[in-house]
Amino acid sequence: MDVYVIGYASHPPAEKVLGKRLEEMVYDTSAQALRAAAIERSDLDHITIAACDELDGRSISNMLMVAPAGGYLKDELRVTDSAMVGLHLAAMRIASGRYHLGLLASWNKSSTAPFEDVMRMRCEPFFTRPIGLNATIADALFAQAQCAAGAASESKATAQSASLQRAAASNPRGLKRKAATADAIASSSYLATPLREGHCAPVTDGAVSVVLASGDWLNRHPEAKPLVRIAGIGAAIDQYYLGRDRLAGLASFKQAWNGALRQANVRSAHGFGAVEADCQTSYQALAYSAAIGLDGSPTFCPSGSAFAQNPYFCTGLINLIEAIEQVRGAAGPAQQSQTNFAAAHGQHGFAQQGNVVAVVERV
Amino acid sequence: MNKNVAVIGTGETVFRSHHPDKTYVDLAQEAVAAALRDANMEPQEIDAVVFSMAPTEFMGVNDADKWAVDYTWAAGKPFMRIHTGGATGGSAFHGGWLNIASGQARTCLVVGADRVAETPDAQHILNLIWDRFYEHDFALNTVTMIALMTQRYMAMRGLSEEQAARVVVRSRRNAMNNPYAHLKGQITVEEVMNSRPVSTPYKLFDICPRSSGACAVVLACEEVARKKCAQPAFVHGIGGIANTVFIGDRMGPHTDAEIGDFAEFVLAGRECYRQAKITNPRKQIKVAELYDPFSGMQFPKLESLGFCKPGEAAKLSDDGAFDMNGEVAVNPSGGTLCTNPIGVTGLVRHADAAKQIMGRAGAMQVSNVQRALATAVGGSAQFWAVTVLGADVM
Repeated sequence: MDVYVIGYASHPPAEKVLGKRLEEMVYDTSAQALRAAAIERSDLDHITIAACDELDGRSISNMLMVAPAGGYLKDELRVTDSAMVGLHLAAMRIASGRYHLGLLASWNKSSTAPFEDVMRMRCEPFFTRPIGLNATIADALFAQAQCAAGAASESKATAQSASLQRAAASNPRGLKRKAATADAIASSSYLATPLREGHCAPVTDGAVSVVLASGDWLNRHPEAKPLVRIAGIGAAIDQYYLGRDRLAGLASFKQAWNGALRQANVRSAHGFGAVEADCQTSYQALAYSAAIGLDGSPTFCPSGSAFAQNPYFCTGLINLIEAIEQVRGAAGPAQQSQTNFAAAHGQHGFAQQGNVVAVVERV
Repeated sequence: MNKNVAVIGTGETVFRSHHPDKTYVDLAQEAVAAALRDANMEPQEIDAVVFSMAPTEFMGVNDADKWAVDYTWAAGKPFMRIHTGGATGGSAFHGGWLNIASGQARTCLVVGADRVAETPDAQHILNLIWDRFYEHDFALNTVTMIALMTQRYMAMRGLSEEQAARVVVRSRRNAMNNPYAHLKGQITVEEVMNSRPVSTPYKLFDICPRSSGACAVVLACEEVARKKCAQPAFVHGIGGIANTVFIGDRMGPHTDAEIGDFAEFVLAGRECYRQAKITNPRKQIKVAELYDPFSGMQFPKLESLGFCKPGEAAKLSDDGAFDMNGEVAVNPSGGTLCTNPIGVTGLVRHADAAKQIMGRAGAMQVSNVQRALATAVGGSAQFWAVTVLGADVM
């Protein structure tokens, strides 16, 4: 794609942001992204927002948020799925040739929202809501299906969580929480069989803004320095109902992954310096890494994934930032052997119903 | 990149207050099936899906779009839900256009459904769209919001309540030709004027219904469109603009876009018309499907979109310029005043405009339509979307 990232910013990670309203978080983050890209808000020809009404606690959340996000009198579109779906839309806007310089803004301040109540209300009212499904139970059903398929076990999930938490502890862009030991994870409370508390990434607050530009805009602004090219994006949605095949098959993840690699002309996961996947649980990490042939590889989630920080709705864009830093050789302790490509992944919906994968390329 | 994108199929359900025999996802499926039949396509020929859904609180399922995946043949495809309040349908249409224009897809289904009347009081939900610290307790909802804006327009431009009532008469008359419309029938200005006062200047009949139903549109690149459709409706231009939520910041001599005039549409329309090479909308556009949930909204919109000068629209309306056989047929479908499934309404406007280009509008058909315009408006009348469709490629 002829689409480039020329700047980004993320709000300092926090379990709870107490000193700011949501609009202040988002304003600060978008303003910082514009400074990072060395452009003015007036230069933008559009804005894309990714936000969830229910987590934000306001119907039509972008009513209040569009201006602090940077969209005053700009052409604005919003998606409600996840920040990575927002990236997909934002990249398409640039790739259409109709737009040339845009800002993508997404956020999550679910510390002030009843998170699992929001997830429970995502259930349709006839079958899944009466049985009490929520995000944790959906993740547990996924974990059970992966175990039944032989792709995971509780002991592997415990080891995987310990590994991710160690990586997260040394990630300077994360919360730098002390990593739990495998014993502590294995003895943590069950949330829903077989998921233990220690297998799950705690949800945090955060915000991310990214500035995207077209190749044409860069040609007209030689002073601008692109950070990476968006070489490919793949996206897919899976079935809603959580049958065995749906939970064990990772169909939409594989479709998104293959689509992104095909577009970027990358043959396999081994062509990436790093693959930053959105792993809400260590069972998901096991499943994703196995699906792309990176199980046990240090290039899989070197940042610690969601265990470093997990602003749930925009965790995928945190992964994008980690991927950008990898190809720029600026990932710090998480840095892997620098190659031309890195991948970022985001998921959304019950048990990863939707998946988006973006490939970034060094420029 | 695909330079030319066209509508090649549309589908709508009947719109009414309740569909007790169908679930939300049944409605979405019915519209998709109709759109695919109209496009002469099978579900597997769709590359990507954009879902049009505004606040989910009306029908009580967060992420209802994800539930609809299994019913709209979306599984295995790129999928996104777009939501800009009442502008959602227009924004979703633009999202569908982007899927194809970017080269990411050759075909895209845009679909939405809503069940606004599932909640006992939609206006209670619509009070919650405002800031909880400053505006929740202000009795602000979409009726009082637009009533304030219309009062301002009336003071600025001299509109009378009777002139607004004539819009209702025309809309319901036009809707009699629309098999999917919610409200329709012969009505008089006196009946509108004598209907129950709700929020000055609006009476009950000046206000749209709460509708349930679904709509779907199939978009395709030119190559597919030429194979599948005898007369596609090509997208000539799109425009969008977002303003601040705070209404008080949008009036007076120092504002960037005067809310009384809906001046945001000047900005969005200018960009859309630039792409569509529209220099004289009144001469070049034969049909306008405007998002007008309240009778008085039509006048500032027609003016800000360049169909006439500020303050002229009401007189032209009185003279019949916007009737079915007038200079510009405004809302041949009856428009939003007659049918308002909020999260889908903008998409219905686009579908009904496309039908006019495609020659598939049935009894609503206006003769020889070469260009048609569709709009959508959302939030605190702060999100604005406009599209021009045409009979051939640019």
